[in-house]
Amino acid sequence: MAKIQLKELAFARSGDKGDVSNIGLMAKSKNIYDFLVKAITPERVKEHFKGMIKGGVEIYPVSNLESLEIILRRSLGGGATCTLRFDQTGKSMGQALLRMEVQADEALLKEAEATDKEILSRYSPVNRSNG
Amino acid sequence: MKKVCIGSGSGFWGDLLEPALEMAEKGDVQYIGFDHLAELTMAILNRMKTKNPELGYIQDIIPWMKKLLPISVPKGIKTITNAGGANPLQAAKEVKKIIQELKLGPMKIGVVYGDDILPYMDEIRAQGWKFKNLDTGEEDIDRIRKDIVAANAYIGADLIIEELGKGADLVITGRVSDNALYVGPLMYEFGWDYSEKYIDRIAAAVTVGHIIECSACVTGGMSNMWQVSERPWDIGFPIAEFYENGEAVITKTPGSGGIVNPWTVKEHLLYEIIDPANYMMPDGIADFTALRLIEEGMNRVRVTNMRGKKRPDTLKVCIGYRDGFIGEGLAFFPWPDALEKAKWAEQWVRERFKRLGVKFEELRIDYMGVNMLHGEAAPIEDKDFNEVGLRIAAKAKTKEEAEIVRREATHLWTMGPIGVSFGIPLDVRPVVALWPSLVPREAVRVESTTMEVNG
Repeated sequence: MAKIQLKELAFARSGDKGDVSNIGLMAKSKNIYDFLVKAITPERVKEHFKGMIKGGVEIYPVSNLESLEIILRRSLGGGATCTLRFDQTGKSMGQALLRMEVQADEALLKEAEATDKEILSRYSPVNRSNG
Repeated sequence: MKKVCIGSGSGFWGDLLEPALEMAEKGDVQYIGFDHLAELTMAILNRMKTKNPELGYIQDIIPWMKKLLPISVPKGIKTITNAGGANPLQAAKEVKKIIQELKLGPMKIGVVYGDDILPYMDEIRAQGWKFKNLDTGEEDIDRIRKDIVAANAYIGADLIIEELGKGADLVITGRVSDNALYVGPLMYEFGWDYSEKYIDRIAAAVTVGHIIECSACVTGGMSNMWQVSERPWDIGFPIAEFYENGEAVITKTPGSGGIVNPWTVKEHLLYEIIDPANYMMPDGIADFTALRLIEEGMNRVRVTNMRGKKRPDTLKVCIGYRDGFIGEGLAFFPWPDALEKAKWAEQWVRERFKRLGVKFEELRIDYMGVNMLHGEAAPIEDKDFNEVGLRIAAKAKTKEEAEIVRREATHLWTMGPIGVSFGIPLDVRPVVALWPSLVPREAVRVESTTMEVNG
């Protein structure tokens, strides 16, 4: 077991729905997804963001996409049109979540690295021709 | 098997035009959808229309249509746009002039409107309906009624389908849901109605609409794939090849830059939604939890197994109301001791506000480059920063109070610590807050009309 930052294990992208910040957390492998479903709890997420989330946290597991949909209520200062936040629509919230540290099997880290490597080799513009 | 190819030409007001033109030119599409409306946009457009009854639509569509229509019309590509905003009929009149000038007729323009419920929302309330705030739970709009500046229902594809059925080559709408710009043409082409047997097909169209409706956001924009996106400065917009059996392939304009792969599609499926099993749109409720993504080749992702539920009986309504003003000020501090200088300056402005006796509704101070984005979720590094910015933002009831923030921040430029740098002062801005709610579908008086344009 090792202390691993979420950024190694998953991708994240966040946006807004009114005063709700939502984060799509995408695991880099099936095993990582199975681990994250158990490891990432609403309590942990709320604690990670300290005082930034004024409302509740809900997590929807999406197994077919090996992802979690994480809902942070009342976390955007009232919503994009009236917030004092510079990041009005919470685009940086997903990246902030990736700072979280989890205790995980090092084998998962290896799987994540393999996915990163595959993405780089498979999609790198020099390795593909566009139709 | 019959397939319909539909592309996204715009995901928001101010999007790039070139990818839409490139799609019309090189993409094998029958329809291009253009979304220009965000929550706040309707309030801005309503204000414009109040000042001048011939405005209130997205004026960008004038130069856009001048460039797009000469390419799209000869190819038979139909355009569906919500650029009508608060004044779809006026927008249609303006586009009609362009068609005549460019001699592109004969053509038919379908115009869809009636999403603006502000003129009759009190009648709906008189019948016992309450516009409950979906974010805060507040029961009704009594507290904000006098400050309401916009109330638009997110209407579905019904009348887009009707206008296409009447032979429209171009459909201009008001606050139709972004999603319906895509669902409409698909339902029309495949001859689906809202009955039980087409529920999963419509849910598939809702899902595909969601995937492509934000233009570049599924082709490598705002993506974790940013490092492998090809020629991102030539980014192409997304195209869906939708098959009669309810499957679709997500791709982009051939030869364009950017990237479409299972990761970009996943990113967008999960983007700006709440419950992935119940993505509620006026035309149907999509369930994203059963679908499968199959990479068919470079920049081609097949989506299968899409399903969902019947459309809801209520429509989302977005109510905008005046809610004070925001004042903002900036100053930047250089090495050495940049963070300490910023902290000193924070104390300086706080003391100034005290002396002026100003009471803000909310005051927020950030150290730019240190904690502005990740706030309390990130530890502050122990180092001598090269530079730190101080951002002061406050919300006030009056414009005068909000101006104080701006003024005190500029005083910091001459009265602050050594080396303060500054840019151009930011203008105070009025706040239109949003009150998300629901309205019974049948209470919304949607209408449409067909405008004939001769050759």
